[in-house]
Amino acid sequence: MSEPMRIRATLQGDTADVRVLMLHPMETGQRRDGKGQIVPLHFIQSVLITHNGRTVLDAQWSQAVSRNPFLGVRIKGAKVGDKISVTWTDNKGDKRTDEATVAAAS
Amino acid sequence: MRKSWMKGMLLFAPALIAVGCASYPDEATTRGLAEKMVSTDFTAPTPALLNRLVQDRSQQICSKIADAKLTQEEAAEVVKLARASIRYPSGGLVGDWKIGDKLAHNGAGSRIQRGQLEKRKENGGLCQNCHALAPGEINVGNIGPSLTGYGTQRGNSEPVAKLTYERIYNGWAYAPCSNMPRLGATGHLTPEQITHLVAYLIDPQSPINQKK
Amino acid sequence: MRMNRGFAAACLACCATWGTVAAQDKAGDGLAIGRQMLAEDNPGELWIEQGKALFHGLHGPRKASLERCDFGMGPGKLEGAAAQLPRYFADTDKVQDLESRLLTCMVQIQGFQHEDIVKRAVSPAGSNGSDVEALALYITSRSNGMKMNPPLSHVKERETYKAGEYLFFRRSGQTDFGCVQCHGEANKRIRLQDLLHMTDKKGAQEVASTWPAYRGGHYVIRTMQWRLYDCFWQMRLPELKYGSDTSIALISYLHHQGSGVMIKVPGFKR
Repeated sequence: MSEPMRIRATLQGDTADVRVLMLHPMETGQRRDGKGQIVPLHFIQSVLITHNGRTVLDAQWSQAVSRNPFLGVRIKGAKVGDKISVTWTDNKGDKRTDEATVAAAS
Repeated sequence: MRKSWMKGMLLFAPALIAVGCASYPDEATTRGLAEKMVSTDFTAPTPALLNRLVQDRSQQICSKIADAKLTQEEAAEVVKLARASIRYPSGGLVGDWKIGDKLAHNGAGSRIQRGQLEKRKENGGLCQNCHALAPGEINVGNIGPSLTGYGTQRGNSEPVAKLTYERIYNGWAYAPCSNMPRLGATGHLTPEQITHLVAYLIDPQSPINQKK
Repeated sequence: MRMNRGFAAACLACCATWGTVAAQDKAGDGLAIGRQMLAEDNPGELWIEQGKALFHGLHGPRKASLERCDFGMGPGKLEGAAAQLPRYFADTDKVQDLESRLLTCMVQIQGFQHEDIVKRAVSPAGSNGSDVEALALYITSRSNGMKMNPPLSHVKERETYKAGEYLFFRRSGQTDFGCVQCHGEANKRIRLQDLLHMTDKKGAQEVASTWPAYRGGHYVIRTMQWRLYDCFWQMRLPELKYGSDTSIALISYLHHQGSGVMIKVPGFKR
């Protein structure tokens, strides 16, 4: 139902440079629509990133993060072919996981 | 020997011209090509709005390309046309600085997008886009000189009010071809709106004339 | 005869350079540091893969790929193509920039309708972006690291460049604005938006090397055609047609003014 994340993971030395764009409206619950009605609160509440199954980032977000959040993460001790998995869960209970493989720097 | 050299030149010259002699295209050719582009490459909701692209005499003079200079005669002509264009309001030249304050910070109005003309209650003065206004405001442009303390420096006498009114209505009467839009003369602002901007600039109570 | 020799000498002399005045350095400041940090992690890069897939995939009513599209270096050859645009194309008998050329190929090879592509070319802010935006980015990115160097050998290329220069300085409308009013001096800004000094080599090089770009406030990739359209919007002038000769001429002027710069896309804009 939700849009796939765009993930890119490139190896720089022994560090994976990971960039994730999560496509999510991130509504603050304070905005009003054209008819003057409040647009309901809808935001990513937690983000989990694993590297070959090991948790490297566990974050709690608030509605202060803006639309289509972009997250850049540097993971040390990575190798080409390693698996990066990103999961987000939002306040409505929707969840989404996307994966990427660490690629060599081009 | 002379003859053969000349023959060589005649053979060589067309190649020079074809390869990239800077004499082609000349100004007239370029103008023709570019103006044709302008006449076909834009759309607008009405023919009147499309006419915004048509240059008046002053704009033609003031569209100097690269380092081309404005001559004395041209400057004089622009000033003359600008003076003749100025229209004064029916009432006084100094309006309400509180209205002028809002107007000076208003950068909206009269834009064309997706086949529609931007319709607002009135066109904004656009001043904040290019000028520093009240002290302490940081979100201000610097294309034009700072207007902070405008009234403090000049006072608020009648001659000052008149000069200020005229410079907003058509600044080219004083500085021909300057970057300042001829806000009154082109119709972007009404004479009444300009009186409020005059008040905002010269009234001692106006924020623009307060110490920070 | 003396006239001939002088004429020849004058021609050779003025053919020498099309360059402009020396550059001016901009001092660093707090905002610049922040922008630099944002630019280092540019979300725009994530659209390159999408553009690549759109380029090689089979799309349009004819279910064809753009691999047969000639951007000036031969069909399907993208390496360095963007660095030599705008340029003259014999098959259309006109000078074209990257986006108008892309349009030509999408119509002729893939069978799309011109009006349909134009209608969808600029995506809504906050959306997933348009096909044209992703394709323009991908194709330009294949020239990353190369120097912007559009040709000026064909007579129509010269005409287009000169027309672009004329248009850059052309003032009209109720604002009396031409491009030069905002982009003709160093260290100028509109409110807090810094303006590039495009009649200066360095400023022009920045324009020529950073489009398409990720527009932060729109959350999508924006292209040069969009940027020109948006300028005319702010100038209170009518709407510039997508891929028009006016747009190609202005792009030609800017790319020549900024020639020699290394292309690095996507750029990052506010």
